[in-house]
Amino acid sequence: MKLLIIEDEKELAESMASYLKNENYTCEIAFNFKQALDKIETSDYECIALDITLPGGSGMQILKELKNNKKTDGVIIISAKNSIDDRISGLRLGADDYLVKPFHLSELAARINAIIRRKMYNGNNIIHFNEIFIDTLAKQVMVRKDLVELTRKEYELLLYFLSNQRRVVSKNALVSHLWNQEMGTGESADIIYTHIKNLRKKLHEKGCGDYIRSLYGMGYKLTDQ
Amino acid sequence: MKLQAQYNKISIASSIIVLLIAGAGYYFLLHYVLKDQLDETLRVEQVEIQDFIKTNHSLPPATTYKDQRIEFKKIDKIFPQSFRTLMLYNTEDKENELSRQLLFPVEVNGQYYAASVTKSQEDTEKIIGVILLITLGLIILLSILLFLANRFLVKRLWKPFQATLSSIKNFDLNAPSAIKTEKTIIHEFNELNENIIMMTEKVVKDYLSLKHFTDYASHEIQTPLAVINSKLDILIQDPALNEKNLQNLQAIYDAVDKMSKLSQSLLLLTRIENNQFTDRQEVNLHETTKNIIQELDDWIREKSLTVCNNIGELKVTMNRRLADTLISNLIINAIKYSGRQESILLRSEKKMFTISNPGMQALAGDQIFDRFWKSEYSDGTGLGLAIVKQICDHCGFLLRYEFREKIHHFSIVF
Repeated sequence: MKLLIIEDEKELAESMASYLKNENYTCEIAFNFKQALDKIETSDYECIALDITLPGGSGMQILKELKNNKKTDGVIIISAKNSIDDRISGLRLGADDYLVKPFHLSELAARINAIIRRKMYNGNNIIHFNEIFIDTLAKQVMVRKDLVELTRKEYELLLYFLSNQRRVVSKNALVSHLWNQEMGTGESADIIYTHIKNLRKKLHEKGCGDYIRSLYGMGYKLTDQ
Repeated sequence: MKLQAQYNKISIASSIIVLLIAGAGYYFLLHYVLKDQLDETLRVEQVEIQDFIKTNHSLPPATTYKDQRIEFKKIDKIFPQSFRTLMLYNTEDKENELSRQLLFPVEVNGQYYAASVTKSQEDTEKIIGVILLITLGLIILLSILLFLANRFLVKRLWKPFQATLSSIKNFDLNAPSAIKTEKTIIHEFNELNENIIMMTEKVVKDYLSLKHFTDYASHEIQTPLAVINSKLDILIQDPALNEKNLQNLQAIYDAVDKMSKLSQSLLLLTRIENNQFTDRQEVNLHETTKNIIQELDDWIREKSLTVCNNIGELKVTMNRRLADTLISNLIINAIKYSGRQESILLRSEKKMFTISNPGMQALAGDQIFDRFWKSEYSDGTGLGLAIVKQICDHCGFLLRYEFREKIHHFSIVF
C-alpha cells in the first residue's frame, strides 16, 4: 500500500515517512505544490497526508484536483491552523480527517489506519495483534473468540496500541489522544497508568499474553518480542 | 454645549450689550441736545421780550400760544436768570405736562418784574421716545437676524464637519470602511478630513498587521513544534535509551506540550479580542456543565473529588465554543487546585453561575485574571483565568472572585 506525504517542512516529512513505513506501507514525499500535483496525477495512494500551506499553492487546491479527477485516495489534512472554518472547508472538499500541528506520529499513524480501514470496501474492519482482535465497526475486542468487556477509554487505548504495533508510544501522545490535552501531563501520568493496568488485567483474564510494556512510565509499547 | 450654541450665546449677548449701551448713550445725548435747543428758543423769546420793553417801555402782553406761555410777576429786587424743568398744568390738553421754563428779571419804568417763558417739553419727549423705540426695534431685529444667520449659515458651514464626525462615529475597526468626507471650501475642514483619512488608514493597517501577527506567530510556532515532536517520537523508538535519557526526553515532550498550549491560548485570546466569535446561540449551561464534568471524570476520580453539580436550566446567549471554554477552564482550575477527596460545588441562581472549591488562603483578587499570573502551585500556562476574564468581558458578563471561610468562589453574572 502506498502513502503520500505532502509537507514542505523537510524534517517533518522525513520523520513522518520514517515512522509510517513498515512491512505494509511504502511512503512517498512531495515537498511542494508542483511535486504533489505530479504525484497525485501519476499514481493512486491509499492515503495522503496533506499540509495546507505549501510553497507554490494551497493544499485545498490539491483536494479540489483530487475531487475533480474522481480519485478515491484517503486524505488527512495536516494544518498549523486549529480553525473550525478550515476544518469544515477541508472536510467538505473531501478530506477524511484533520490533524492539527504539533501532533504525535503515533496519532498520525492511528488516524491513517482508521481512514484506510474505512476505505476498504471488502468489510475489512478487523485489526489484530496475535490473539487480540478488534472489530472497529462493532467496537468490540476479542481474545481469540472471547469477548473482552472494556470501557471506552480502555478500548481506545488498545486500538491506539494496535495501530502503533511494536512502536513506543509516548505518554504525552496517549494523553492528547484520550483527552485533547485539557489537563497537564503531570496529572495524567497516574490516570494513564490506571487505565493501562486495568486493560492488562482484563486481557490477562481472557488468557491473553502480556504484550504492553512500559518504558519507565514515559512511554508504552505493544510488543511480543 | 454645542459650539454653535456657545457661539450664538456670545454673539447675541454681546450685540445686545453693545446696542443697549449705544441706546442709552444715544438717549442721553439726544436729551441734552434737544433740551439745549429748547433753551435756545426760550432765550430767543427772552431777547424779543427785552427788545419789546426797550422800544415800548411797557410789558408785552402775557400770552399763552400753543405750548408757549409768557407771564410777568411784580417783584421787589433783581434775581439772576435761571432755567428749570417743572410740571405745569396745560389748560388746553387738560393735563400736567413736563415743561421748560426760563425765569429772568425785567425793569419797566423803575418797577421790577419776574418774566417767565415756559415751553412744553412734551414734543421733545415724544421724539426721544420714538428714537428709543427704533433703537429697541433694531436690537430685536438684529438679534433675530444674528440668530437666524447662525442657525442656517453657520449650520451649513459646519455641515462637512458633521459629515466627517458621523463617519468617524460609525467607524468600526473590525469592519473598516473608508471615512466618507464632504469636499468643502473651508481649509481647516479639508485639512481635518485629510488627516483623519490618513490616520484611519494607518490605524486599520496597524490593527490588521497586529491582528495577523499573533495569528501568524502562533501558526508559525506550530510547525517547528511538530518537527520537535516528530523527532522525539522517532527518538524514543531507540532501544538503547536508558532511564535517564527517557526522563530527559519526557521533559522535552512536556515542554513542547506546554509551548503548544501556550500558543493556542494566546491565539484564542487574540481571536476573542478580534471579535472572531460572532455567531451566538442559546446555550444551556446545565448541559454544558454536565458534559464537561463527564469529560473530566478521569481526573475527578483520580483525585477522589466530589463534584456537586447544581447548575439548573441556565440559558445564556453566547458563542457555544466560548461557553465551553469558559466553563471548562473554571472547572479544570477547580480540579487542579483542589486537594484529594475535597469537594467542588457548582450552583446557579437566576442569572449567576458559581463554582466553589476549598483552599488554604485567598488568591490575589486583583491579579488572578491577569495574563501569565500563576499561583505558586501552578504548572500551567497562566492563561486559563485570563481567558475566562476575556470571554466575560467580551460577552459583557460580570466575573467575581471571593474567598470566604476557606473556600474560593468564582461567579459569573450573565
